[in-house]
Amino acid sequence: MKTPSTSLINVLIGKSILEVLLVGALAVFTFISILPPYFHGWGEVTNTGISGWVVNDAAPWDRVEVQLFIDGDFVASRVANESRRDVVTAGWSKDEWHGYTFPVISLSAGLHEARVYALHAGGNGTRKTLQLVGDPISFSVAANGKPSAHGALISNPYGSRN
Amino acid sequence: MESFFPGQARVLALWEIVSVVTSCLIVEWVVLSFAGGSKLISAIPILLAWGLMAFSYRERGETLYEIGFRTDNFLASCRLLLLPTAAAVLVIVATGWFMNHSIFAGHFRARYFSLPIWALFQQYALNGFINRRAQLALGKGLKSIALVAVVFALLHLPNPLLAAVTFIGGLICAAVYQRQPNLFALALSHTVVSLTLAVTISPNLLNSLRVGFKYFG
Repeated sequence: MKTPSTSLINVLIGKSILEVLLVGALAVFTFISILPPYFHGWGEVTNTGISGWVVNDAAPWDRVEVQLFIDGDFVASRVANESRRDVVTAGWSKDEWHGYTFPVISLSAGLHEARVYALHAGGNGTRKTLQLVGDPISFSVAANGKPSAHGALISNPYGSRN
Repeated sequence: MESFFPGQARVLALWEIVSVVTSCLIVEWVVLSFAGGSKLISAIPILLAWGLMAFSYRERGETLYEIGFRTDNFLASCRLLLLPTAAAVLVIVATGWFMNHSIFAGHFRARYFSLPIWALFQQYALNGFINRRAQLALGKGLKSIALVAVVFALLHLPNPLLAAVTFIGGLICAAVYQRQPNLFALALSHTVVSLTLAVTISPNLLNSLRVGFKYFG
């Protein structure tokens, strides 16, 4: 058996680099396809519940399905298709029909945290993922059942890129 | 640097083993989990590994005959494999009988016809390349045989039964190859044992011979 030349080392290094690139590209592709960075929106507390808007930049005319979780528990799901002219005016969407409202009922008095997630279906419907829209919303519920913002909130209702 | 010191040559041979094993693991774990088992993407690491093996053979001046694609020692190799293969078949059939109270209860599938080709490909990579490089790194004997068996078992994880079976099979095949390097005989034995396993042992226990990320799906 002959002694190999140093070209073999070069081939080994080249192969390693190509495989690292392949694995890296697959990881990025998978992340983007499972959790696409196209959703952005915002949520806030109103007198009746949690309201906000969400847009899918990859499909700006589509209505995004959103899910509300309060204190980590699923509460409700709906399609964000209510009118929000302010979102169009601010340049975040191409049409006004991206708003959502979740009434908050049957919550105990005290502090709570709401999170609104955009639902994304991938892999021809074989998997669905949730992405947080905006920031978590801290609010308190009074003894009469009315929610109100807790602490510093709604600093910039159009500022989220999430 | 046109030639290597003995220590460097050993490291180089081990590096070649690691590189080929890495390609296999990428196909089994990364491509299957990230790309849903896309054949096109799977082909990339397979071709890279095959390219490395071909280049290494050329660099080292190894011929197909030396690698084990030969017929002159086919019967000699078969003689060495006969007893362990027969023992493996008997143990598998006995296990199947104990578990199912029947022999060859599994369904024969059309894909089993490709088993000999698949077995030859596996033996080519395992013994025709990894065993030869293991011998360069660790010399002939127990150490290199054990390394081949560990690699063979590693590639069948996380399927525990298959990993155990392939570890034992890897020990036997590597030992036989070091005495009589004939890939056709090894592929024949591999095919007989794999087929017996597939049609005898419950698919639930073997998880349909699935390995890598596919084991979970």
